[in-house]
Amino acid sequence: MKTATALGNFLRSGALWALFPAALSAAEDGAAFFEAKVRPVLIKHCHECHSADAKKVKGGLLLDTRAGWQRGGDSGLPAVVPGNPDESPLIRAVRHVEEDFAMPPRQPKLPDAVIADLVAWVRMGAPDPRDGNSGEARRADKSWWSLQPVAREFRHRTIDGFVDEALAAKGLARNPPADARTLIRRMTYDLTGLPPTPAEVAEFAVAHAADPDAAAAALADRLLASPRYGERWGRHWLDVVRFGESNGFERNFIIDDLWPFRDWVIRSLNDDKPFDRFITEHLAGDVIGKNRPEIEVGSAFLVAGPYDDVGNQDPVAKANIRAATIDDMIVTTGGAFLGLTVGCARCHHHKFDPMPTEDYYRLRAAFEGVTHGRREVATVEQRAAFADATKPLNKRLAEINAAVDRIERAVAVRAKELLKTRTFPRPKIDPELTEETFTPVEARFVRFTVLDNTEAPGRPPPRVNNRRATRAGGRLTEFEVWTTDGRNVALAASGGRAEGARGAVAEDFPEAYGPQLCIDGRHGEQWFIGNPAELTITLARPEMIDRVTFSNAKGRGLMDKAQGATPCEYEVKISTDGNEWRTVATSFDRMPWSERHALERVRGEVIMPEEEKELAALERERGQVQAALNKVPKLPQMWAGKFDQPAERTFVHKGGEPMKPGEVVRPASLEILSQVTPAFALAEDAPEGARRLALARWITAPENPLTPRVLANRIWQHHFGTGIVDTPSDFGFQGGRPSHPELLDFLATRLMAHGWRLKPLHREIVLSRAYRQSGAFREDGGRADRDARLLWRFPPRRLSAEEVRDTMLVTAGRLRLEPMGGPGFRLYKYTQNNVSTYFPLDAHGPETHRRAVYHQNARASVVDVLTDFDLPDIAFAAPRRANTTTPLQALTLLNHRFTFDLAAALAERIAGSDPVGAAYSIAFQRVPGAEERAAGEAFIARHGAAAFSRAILNANELLYLD
Amino acid sequence: MTPPDLARRHFLGHMTTGLTGVALARLLARDLVAGPVPRTHFAPKARQVLQIFCPGAASHIDLWDHKPLLGKFDGTPLPGAEGEVSFQGKNGNLMRSPWAFAPAGRSGKMISTLLPRMAGHVDDIAFLHGMSSRTNTHGPGCVAMNTCFTREGFPSAGSWVSHALGSLNENLPTYIAIQDIRGEPPNGKANWGNGFLPAQHQGVAMSAQQPLRNLVRPGEPAPGEERAVREHLAFMNRAHAAEHDGNGELLARMEAYALAARMQLAAPEVSDLAGEPDHIHRLYGTGDANPLKAAYARNCLLARRFLEKGVRYVSLYCASRASAVDGLLNWDAHKTLKADYERHAPVFDQPTAALLTDLKQRGLLKDVLVLWCTEFGRMPTHQEGTSGRDHNPDAFTTWMMGAGVKGGVSHGATDDFGRRAAVDVTSVYDFYATVLHLLGLDHERLTYYHNGANRRLTDVHGHVIKPVLA
Repeated sequence: MKTATALGNFLRSGALWALFPAALSAAEDGAAFFEAKVRPVLIKHCHECHSADAKKVKGGLLLDTRAGWQRGGDSGLPAVVPGNPDESPLIRAVRHVEEDFAMPPRQPKLPDAVIADLVAWVRMGAPDPRDGNSGEARRADKSWWSLQPVAREFRHRTIDGFVDEALAAKGLARNPPADARTLIRRMTYDLTGLPPTPAEVAEFAVAHAADPDAAAAALADRLLASPRYGERWGRHWLDVVRFGESNGFERNFIIDDLWPFRDWVIRSLNDDKPFDRFITEHLAGDVIGKNRPEIEVGSAFLVAGPYDDVGNQDPVAKANIRAATIDDMIVTTGGAFLGLTVGCARCHHHKFDPMPTEDYYRLRAAFEGVTHGRREVATVEQRAAFADATKPLNKRLAEINAAVDRIERAVAVRAKELLKTRTFPRPKIDPELTEETFTPVEARFVRFTVLDNTEAPGRPPPRVNNRRATRAGGRLTEFEVWTTDGRNVALAASGGRAEGARGAVAEDFPEAYGPQLCIDGRHGEQWFIGNPAELTITLARPEMIDRVTFSNAKGRGLMDKAQGATPCEYEVKISTDGNEWRTVATSFDRMPWSERHALERVRGEVIMPEEEKELAALERERGQVQAALNKVPKLPQMWAGKFDQPAERTFVHKGGEPMKPGEVVRPASLEILSQVTPAFALAEDAPEGARRLALARWITAPENPLTPRVLANRIWQHHFGTGIVDTPSDFGFQGGRPSHPELLDFLATRLMAHGWRLKPLHREIVLSRAYRQSGAFREDGGRADRDARLLWRFPPRRLSAEEVRDTMLVTAGRLRLEPMGGPGFRLYKYTQNNVSTYFPLDAHGPETHRRAVYHQNARASVVDVLTDFDLPDIAFAAPRRANTTTPLQALTLLNHRFTFDLAAALAERIAGSDPVGAAYSIAFQRVPGAEERAAGEAFIARHGAAAFSRAILNANELLYLD
Repeated sequence: MTPPDLARRHFLGHMTTGLTGVALARLLARDLVAGPVPRTHFAPKARQVLQIFCPGAASHIDLWDHKPLLGKFDGTPLPGAEGEVSFQGKNGNLMRSPWAFAPAGRSGKMISTLLPRMAGHVDDIAFLHGMSSRTNTHGPGCVAMNTCFTREGFPSAGSWVSHALGSLNENLPTYIAIQDIRGEPPNGKANWGNGFLPAQHQGVAMSAQQPLRNLVRPGEPAPGEERAVREHLAFMNRAHAAEHDGNGELLARMEAYALAARMQLAAPEVSDLAGEPDHIHRLYGTGDANPLKAAYARNCLLARRFLEKGVRYVSLYCASRASAVDGLLNWDAHKTLKADYERHAPVFDQPTAALLTDLKQRGLLKDVLVLWCTEFGRMPTHQEGTSGRDHNPDAFTTWMMGAGVKGGVSHGATDDFGRRAAVDVTSVYDFYATVLHLLGLDHERLTYYHNGANRRLTDVHGHVIKPVLA
């Protein structure tokens, strides 16, 4: 209902609901009116589209019950405002107030008398005797479960109390405890993402036999203290905050300095940083930790998503791109911390949750001043040291530059005088076509040496041994060599060959930019002139030639202009043998291209020896100072975003269109939680950083029920495979309902009681009997609860993409754990030519033998093993990964060189008297059965240990956990 | 539901109670590998899709959409829009197409003389001349033309179709993206990405130049080794599965290895063009002296072979990304329209026309829906100081042909100069609502839950374009 926004704050204030009792009390008298005048109209004109019997309900609005119009349609606003016809969308629609919102659709207006009846009915308070639900509830209001305060009192004191109660309600019971090997494998993978060593398994089995509870507790403590914990759980979190290291969209360039954010996440989890603090650093680390890089880096969260950086001149497109850029921050913030699908309120009020569109723009107001980019992130001391080191050098550099300029100006004055006496008989070169003629001469080779081009600024390179060096840069579309009888013998089609360095490369398209483009007979593609700037053309045979022409224009004949610089100072030489060269033409008697080029022509004649000497000395010193400057370590930079005070206030975009501004919105708390959290509202022009900090404080306020619930649910999800709510970033109407609502609140309460630290909560969960039970299948459980959401067994799972790769490396003995962090490794070759391309690698060298969390994950790239096993494309947050089984996984694990390299390594590890036993111990941490041993030994005898290892690396037992 | 499906459901019911058996395992595993049993919403007209994509914004007014007034008013300002600023900057005056248009076919459709062979197909094509896009940028535009969203991360149409209809030949990928020898299109793999749909629905990249990744192992296997490894792996997996009742995934993974083995046989066979007769190679131009054209021709031939073998959705790209030089690697003729298109059109024309001819002569068009796409159109004016055209999101042409499509039709129109779609304006939502409709799917009912919304290919828009239906 598009008019709904017009109703404004009145409706959202809740005043409407206060009106109802009064309106309904007046309804006695009105019931008869309703039956006589209103019901028949609704049935005749509205029910076709707005009733339970409608073939398809339009706009989500039902008018066949009172509840229907009270709840309203997709706009989320009631269709009738009792007592106020002018503000009732239904009345406005039948009156055809708004052209695009006229009812009944595509039909003439209802008769005036009928409309008058409807108006009278609304004015009398819209009495409506039609009780009953209008179908099922189709949206949430503020009584929605997740918007209620977190419960503080519970019927159980342990996790198991809640789990067992829910099981008993279904007539189910937990499995018996898992055996020691299963438990240590489960817990080690769960908390560190890696398998236990055979020795750890053996040790644990002994301890477990003696005292299972104590052994499990000691195990949990050891694993939670391991730095591997942060690498595992940090990866979970990076999915939630859509961390990716390329910008996506058209150019998708790689971002090489966002990894400090990833390391910060891992470090924060290892340090068990309180999560409210952690969230605050995401949103406002730069505000609360200015000049403290270890805190500031957190706010790189805001710019860790994809964004469109293509230069767009169209103003509407620019506004849309900016809106999309901030949308990424809004949507990610809403989903990651609050479990709210805020993005659904961008164009209209949320269709399923009680969130007005203003809430979306309140978040936008918080992020209005954030832009993508890199900045220096450094300590006060680093900044001071840098300034101390660079200031004197920069000062000296400025002095040198001034001295050089002084001399150059003096030389230029004399050069200009001299130029007055000179004439250049021939015209300037023409970038579209320049011709040089000369006395006919026999040639096999023609060389075009470029000394300078038309690029305006800058000076040509210094002379070397009194010879002018060539000047790279500029482009040519064609270079033609003409015989005395008018044939272009340079053409490739005539057997000509062109050689010359190129100034640009497109790795996946080797022909691009090459010198052969000058002799293809087409004015299309250009040779990008490289260094040395010299084109050598070899003719098919010696020819009598008297002319060369060159052009930098494309598509001759239309309105073409040259693109890029064109050679304007040059020599043309010929040779018959490729050794002896003779100059047949130069540009030197042409009008110079510009004043700079003119001065350069005579510079050598007017400069005085002492000036040259002084310049040389200054140049030398400049080089030294520059070198010293380069040696000063740069202040560390990272992709942490930039923050500026927004120039404009934030508006609602009507219908999500930036060019349709609605009312002004302040940086403020969200209306959806107004009944449970203390509100804040800053001024429209509040300082940039204060906006984000206020938002962070509100998100982490103890009264906010969503933040701890959403977080506790994520923890549960990664321990058991599925959350108590199975849509971890959506706690709204469209999301899943909690399987154990009270348990969720219990966990949220425990989390806050632990001071928002995760490790104590992990410990409680992994030491619960629910977690430590066996994963064995049982018929009664399978029938009642196939996915074991109620935890009648521990749900088995496949390893994640990172675990698959890490496990293969561990099994082969090749995983390198230290040093942790730092720049990521790549399983693709990165090429950049205006846009980026990521080519998956066929071989993964030792530099890639690190934990997969350190892979530099670029967007829209496909890498072997990781992508196959459901590493998400991080265009969006991926709070819950897919779990697929595909033939492509099989092909990769069987055939990629990675498997062969690791199989060879594993074969070495298991060499000895009992290779099968060694392999089973390393890979599965168990002893092979008699049949397995016999089959394995027979296989090795025939096909070798490497082939056997390859089978091990593909085995289900390696990739699945109980 | 057909009887085999019922049988499968029946078995599935037993599976959860722990019953096992070879046949059952296989049935269940197939479900897990291939997804649930596909169903259409109503009787389909088409079963497969061939999507031909010319990235870079191929100019509607220089290829398909004849604008005689453009010639008449060549060199004069576009009325009411002098000096308009578009993607790269200011626009100059109206610029005629460098190529004449001529009537073709019985329908007399006016088509650019730059595409002489494609002209032979106009009687089978339904042109959509009133298309308009939401973005003027290549990457988002290409992604939108494939996913209906300008932001990447949404599933491509091919992925949706794979999700909805599944495979017709399990020995080959369901959805194949054939990229051009010149490289990936703008935004690369996002164009055939599965977005939030499960990974088995992603487009698998393979072409005549680039075989399916990891299809063969490196090095030379010793005799019997490959088979022995598979058998030993199956032995280990059987033993493991026997101890893990109730985990269908384990069986699915075993089935996936069997499928992979069959794919290793099927994929090289279908990719081998050597067995095609000479007249077919000549028809496509696979031996052309222009290496770009020969490469694209081979990809066209490969596309036909995929379709013949039952690949559900084939995307075929002609040209690639933007390079440092506009219009070098794709249809993005900003500065030198004539030179650029005289390079690209000959690559496109003969092989594409041959592919259509070949599909027709083999009777494949009764099952295959052919789509031609580009991300948006180009301005009727020249870009200031150049003889090229800037991006125009407000008007472009796409077309459909084949199964269920009425031929010789032109639906929708641009204004006098081709600046804006003006009559029967259509969007990418309408385009894919129609595609899904032809495949027997209601675009409003094909949904998938993701992050708070039941997502559709067509977002919340789209109407079936009925006038192009046969």
